[in-house]
Amino acid sequence: MAVARITRRVFMEGGLGLTILNLLPFSNFSRAFAQGTPEERVVAAAKTLGPADVTGIIWSPYLVPMKPVIEEFKKQTGIGLGAVQDISIFDTPQRAMAEALSRSPQFDFIHIDSNMIPSLASAGYLEPLDEYMKKANFKIEAVADYANFMTYKGQTYGVPTDGNVHIQYVRRDILEDPDNKKKFADKHGRELKFPETWEEDLAIQETLMDPSKDLYGSGNLRNRANGPTWWYMIFYSAGGFPFDDDMKPTLDTPAGQYAVEIYLRDKKVNHPEAAGWGTAQMIPRIANGHVVSCQYWDGTAKLNENPEKSKTAGKWIYGLVPGSDFSGKRIHRSLSSPLAALLVNKYSPRKAQAAYLALWLGSGKNSIPIVSDPVNTFNDAWAKEHMTAPPVVKSYSEGGIKAIEKNFQVVAPPIYLTGYLEFQDTLGKNLSEAYVGQLPAKDVLKKTENEWNAIIRRIGQRKLKDELASYKAVMPKRDKPA
Amino acid sequence: MAARPPLDTAPKVSLREVSRARAIRRFRLTILVPLIALFVLVLMPVLFLQLYFSFHQWSIYLGSWWDADYVGLNLFTEVLTDPRFGWAILRSLAFATGSTIGCFVIGFALAYLMHKPFRGQALYYVVFILPMLTVPIVVAYTAEMLLYQSGPVNDLISRILGVEFKPAWLTDPNVALPAVTLLEIWNWTPFSFIIMLAGLSAIPKEPIEAAEILGASKWRIFWEVQLPLLRPVIFLALVLRFLEAMAEFPKTWALFQGGPGTATETLPVYIFLTTWQYFEVSKGAAMSYIVMMLMIVIVLLAIQLLRREKRSLDAMYGKAAREAGGEP
Repeated sequence: MAVARITRRVFMEGGLGLTILNLLPFSNFSRAFAQGTPEERVVAAAKTLGPADVTGIIWSPYLVPMKPVIEEFKKQTGIGLGAVQDISIFDTPQRAMAEALSRSPQFDFIHIDSNMIPSLASAGYLEPLDEYMKKANFKIEAVADYANFMTYKGQTYGVPTDGNVHIQYVRRDILEDPDNKKKFADKHGRELKFPETWEEDLAIQETLMDPSKDLYGSGNLRNRANGPTWWYMIFYSAGGFPFDDDMKPTLDTPAGQYAVEIYLRDKKVNHPEAAGWGTAQMIPRIANGHVVSCQYWDGTAKLNENPEKSKTAGKWIYGLVPGSDFSGKRIHRSLSSPLAALLVNKYSPRKAQAAYLALWLGSGKNSIPIVSDPVNTFNDAWAKEHMTAPPVVKSYSEGGIKAIEKNFQVVAPPIYLTGYLEFQDTLGKNLSEAYVGQLPAKDVLKKTENEWNAIIRRIGQRKLKDELASYKAVMPKRDKPA
Repeated sequence: MAARPPLDTAPKVSLREVSRARAIRRFRLTILVPLIALFVLVLMPVLFLQLYFSFHQWSIYLGSWWDADYVGLNLFTEVLTDPRFGWAILRSLAFATGSTIGCFVIGFALAYLMHKPFRGQALYYVVFILPMLTVPIVVAYTAEMLLYQSGPVNDLISRILGVEFKPAWLTDPNVALPAVTLLEIWNWTPFSFIIMLAGLSAIPKEPIEAAEILGASKWRIFWEVQLPLLRPVIFLALVLRFLEAMAEFPKTWALFQGGPGTATETLPVYIFLTTWQYFEVSKGAAMSYIVMMLMIVIVLLAIQLLRREKRSLDAMYGKAAREAGGEP
């Protein structure tokens, strides 16, 4: 029997032939996973797993618009939704950490603020999604570098369902009123226009507010839970970053002090009860016309532009959040938090099914009806496809969606490290104390640094130092939108 | 040495008495064994685990809990020197004391008005008990809607007083803790009311009738007859309410989450934040142990006081009975 001898030439020719064959349109090679739309590829990959009903933690306002999309996935793959625990996204981190603590397989996925990724991954709870994405040839097609928010130490751990980027809101009718223009010009010696810096925004708020008509300058949040989000926007835009390369806190710096000063000046222009208000109180005030200007989550634009629910439909100008010249150059920084994302439990027996369901919900096309729902407005636009999709544009208005796209280009996270909740609550507590007069402004950052040092010691300085690169990778690369 | 009584003079125990004693023993065991089993199987492991965490520094981010480092009393020292913990204790004590006194005074007053039968009493009874049947979280959310600075409560008080009354109940750090204390009083006054009503109904009529015959005024009867007889019940109502108030969490959390600033950061809120926001499970365990010790001290003191009250009541009744019977 003659033995075929494989020479190097034969081997190279064979390889070349196979490569060409693979590229031909009629070729069956990798057809199932390499071709078709992203949705088809996810379905093809998921079908191989067999039917299952996956369980999870998700807040119902997020889940409602997802339901028809999940039903479609069930039809195509047999993978659907089983029991769901309906918990507010603000309470999910504690619950998720309890699940991580007990290494429980009870939930297959959790829908949670993606800033919890480092903490949950460090607790060993999260399943990396890269393998599933590779099998389905799937990519998170987010605006600008937003997909980075799903990564930690080089691995992808989540699929976004909600952009939740902050945009600037200014009342058009108030800004364009001739009397207001004159009043502003007389007081400040310059033209009244859409604010580009924090100082300009404060000047507009201060000049145009009228508490006797229940119209306050600002609609920003200053409560203990949400306040830090606004502080970070100011701090980052002043060129600040919370840690140096050795993981020593760098809050008590000129940039930090500037941020505290701007943050506290809001007290003069905000409602007297703002210190205790969250979104439940502030959103109706914005939509009902009691606010001149603010930075707020983009989903509020959907509510504002819904004439059935808002008294201010068509009365807003949306744009880029203010920036700062404090560092010597103009920097704008928006913030996305809580950025709701689907994360998969490593201990789940149905983790693969949950992963593919997450990818299905996170495709550009499938997420269009989810983010454009005018009633359940919690899921906000985030994908490239959303920026031009007519239902999404209609839902946010042309100006709204352009503002979202702009802000995504300069969006940053809060603390993107293990211990996010600890860092966040400590800062929030001290800022809140200063806002209500319990703590002198000059002590806020010193006290926070001391408390952060204790957190760093507890979690481990070396461990956090290793994570700094992931945090920095999530920070935006541009100072202003392109 | 006392001589042993002869066998034939020893008290004879009948078979019936022996079997009765056995039955009582069996009954006691039947009641006690499940309780002891529950304690050993459920509570003891939790307490031991808690104790383990209190002496070991463990973070969820760093490996398994059984590999945690032994740190001796470091965590207890850390907790006891933590000013935030000290403030949390003070806030909890202020809240519990204020709300306990408030609940008791109003509950007792209502019980006093209600303890003699009158027409329509049952309806009042239901109305007075209603707040206690309301879930605390619902109380919190309802209060949130009512207590805005320009909300209905301030509006109503302003109309009644005829002057503008606008405290920021939910956002002023000086008013927030009193606001949640008032809510607690509203929520739990029925508890004191029920206990005091039971106490008032259980007072024997004879001393009161005797005092009436002797011409004592109503105030004197209340002050010198009813109140002394009620003292054990009053202690019980105060102690139970105080312990409950020390553990209040749902209203404080739902309304304030510890804010504004740290104005409502009570012990349960701080322990929750430490354990479930900062994930310092070990420190949270040490805190829980310290709080448990504090509670045990309070309970032991209360038991001592209750015993003393019972003794003095027994002595008073004994003296009265002796005097009535003409004993020396």
